[in-house]
Amino acid sequence: MKTKNTELKIIFVLIILFFAVFLFFPAIKLALKSFECDGGFGLENYINVITEKNFLTALLNSINISVVSALLSTFIAFMMAYTINYTNANKYVKKIIGAVAILPMFLPTITYGFAIIYSFGKQGLVTKILGRQLFDIYGYKGLLLGYLIYTLPISFMLINNTILYLDKKFMIVSRVMGDNKLNTLWMTILRPLAGTFTCSVIQCFFLCFTDFGIPASVGGKFDVVASVLYEEMLGAIPNFNNGAVVAIVMLLPSVVSIIGLTIIEKYNIRYNKISTIELTKSKARDILCSIFSLGVVFSIITIFSVIVFIPFVKGWPYDISFTFDNVKTVFSDNNLVGVYENSLITAILTAVIGTVIAYGATLITARSNLDERIKKVLETSSVVTNTIPGMVLGIAFLLAFKGGPLHNTFAIIILCNIVHFFSTPYLMMKNSLSKMNRSWETTARLMGDNWMKTIIRVVTPNAFTTLLEVFSYYFVNAMVTVSAVIFIAGARTMVITTKIKELQHFAKFNEIFVLSLLILVTNLAAKVIFNYLANRRKNSNEN
Amino acid sequence: MLELKHIKKSFDGVDILKDINLTINTGEIVSILGPSGSGKTTLLNIILGITDTDSGEIEFDGEDITNVPMEKRQFNLVFQDYALFPNLNAYKNITYGLRNKPNISTEEEVNDLIDLLGLREHIDKNIDQLSGGQKQRVALARTMVMKPKVLLLDEPLSALDGVIKESIKDRIKTIAKEFNLTTIIVTHDPEEALTLSDKVLIINEGHISQFDRPEQIINKPSNMFVKEFILNQLEIKRNNILTLFNRSCAV
Repeated sequence: MKTKNTELKIIFVLIILFFAVFLFFPAIKLALKSFECDGGFGLENYINVITEKNFLTALLNSINISVVSALLSTFIAFMMAYTINYTNANKYVKKIIGAVAILPMFLPTITYGFAIIYSFGKQGLVTKILGRQLFDIYGYKGLLLGYLIYTLPISFMLINNTILYLDKKFMIVSRVMGDNKLNTLWMTILRPLAGTFTCSVIQCFFLCFTDFGIPASVGGKFDVVASVLYEEMLGAIPNFNNGAVVAIVMLLPSVVSIIGLTIIEKYNIRYNKISTIELTKSKARDILCSIFSLGVVFSIITIFSVIVFIPFVKGWPYDISFTFDNVKTVFSDNNLVGVYENSLITAILTAVIGTVIAYGATLITARSNLDERIKKVLETSSVVTNTIPGMVLGIAFLLAFKGGPLHNTFAIIILCNIVHFFSTPYLMMKNSLSKMNRSWETTARLMGDNWMKTIIRVVTPNAFTTLLEVFSYYFVNAMVTVSAVIFIAGARTMVITTKIKELQHFAKFNEIFVLSLLILVTNLAAKVIFNYLANRRKNSNEN
Repeated sequence: MLELKHIKKSFDGVDILKDINLTINTGEIVSILGPSGSGKTTLLNIILGITDTDSGEIEFDGEDITNVPMEKRQFNLVFQDYALFPNLNAYKNITYGLRNKPNISTEEEVNDLIDLLGLREHIDKNIDQLSGGQKQRVALARTMVMKPKVLLLDEPLSALDGVIKESIKDRIKTIAKEFNLTTIIVTHDPEEALTLSDKVLIINEGHISQFDRPEQIINKPSNMFVKEFILNQLEIKRNNILTLFNRSCAV
């Protein structure tokens, strides 16, 4: 085509520069740091770290608990998705299950830990009600519970989404062909979902393996890689070289899992047409599934209820009379209010800039005729951002920008967030843009539009809903993330999640829960606003 | 007058068009007819300016436009799937180009077009509230507002059903005559091509098989391809229809 694509080329150069400086440079810096030792480079740090008995234990612990959590979480998520899609359970019950399954996403993982402490701990709410402690929360069981809550939303969304795209008609085919119930279940639900199950297990494994918030709160003496990494970097005796080694070790399984994911995704079953059918009647199935799912819902709500409950009593567990004092204290503390403002500003800027970058990148990969190699570069960068765990990215940023102009600024936190969460927005955007009619740009140009005008008048209005979703994804994640920012937030640039970590040190749990509530309320409010905007858009289009 | 001289095009070493020579007079309706893979869409894209030729020249009214970019040629295309913008209603789609070139059509001309294409009652509708035929007419109006020097239509009837097809055919003919507009239509349906156009360009494996008026093609097919693939199809259709009518007459 006789166009120069100048605008697109400028966008490409800017995005590549962005990734070069904020993804590849820190990553290389980190790798170099791990090999750096007295008088040059070598494997000395690696040998040091690996021969530490503690480290190998932590590594095995991490793998062990991550695998168990991933399998359990996937099973629970499937049961909940099954209840919603394949039973005749009450429709309000279904709504509640769907809503609560994704609720934990709106809170930072570090909060889960504290919520577990305050519900199942020695002085916990549940312990008080039952009169005895159900299990020891510090260590394996507490971690497992935390990881389950953390990964359930992701697993649920993956599985539920695939089920929506399964052609239910095959259940009739299977039945008229004489399959028994077990065979029907296998052929029409389990087998088509196999790819998604695998994805879910890998994804959950990755999340547990790299999460920092949960071990930070309920890890106890059960060491995992994340806690070792934190110790090495910000502990009593920081050793950046060893920290870099641990980070690289954490990176390896992550890279393997993400590569695994991309391979599996290609084998997913895609039905041409989705049809719904009337489900067979089975009271027993409906009741059993409802009980199981509502049990999970009840557990999640119980654990999170302490976040709502504890800040409003005078002195848990001794004086449980109602009070607003704790909330007032937080709001009268300029420092804490400032931290909330920091979080809000960081999240908004992350969302704005992140959405623009993701949009720019996908305009190139999904809607331009630029060279395939150019597209490949962007595609690869997006996959790479996905493989790097938040903690690793945070440490890489710390090492790369220490002492520089970005050190201790909000900019570094925002940039880190954008890179950290880039992959999902990129895929969401690309998916939406590539579904749009291929001929729009040509048509608009024939009508006298230049490239920029076409984007403003045609592509952007039609991508509006997805842009909102991307914005919302960035916003919510920037609000709850702790793993990366823990290493780069300074005293002046404290955000809520890092403040929570600091408050833990002083055992100020009232403040922790009030701040957590603030995050939850902010995220839910943001969701409501974004949904309203998206719906209004849809309605105005229909009129 | 649109002239194509020695147009050649290949993709990845495969020759799609091999030395195409062609003259289309102003105001003529010409159909490009050929099986899938014959190169007809490529030819359309070359005329429009989406695709560059490997060699050869395109002249319009005596002027060489081979290297003139798409938007400067002032030709216009209606896509097979219409490519209407779903964020805009029918009227805003029709007047889309006026935002860029406010003076290209007057309000009166736009209104005349809307009436000519029978869109008056639909102009406030959203795109997905329109039927296939209505969409086609909106796309046609949107293009006509730009006063193209050549109107290109990519499979304009393929997505429409029976009765609508005939009415759109009439609209296209009316438009071409009303505006004395050179109109080029890509189609794979011989019946469509031969009943809609002044001249038909039959293209096969990158070569022009025959370029003639419909009655000439029927009476004097220039080669076996035209005979076997184009005429044969029409024969079968005719016989089927005649049988059908005879039977009902007999009853």
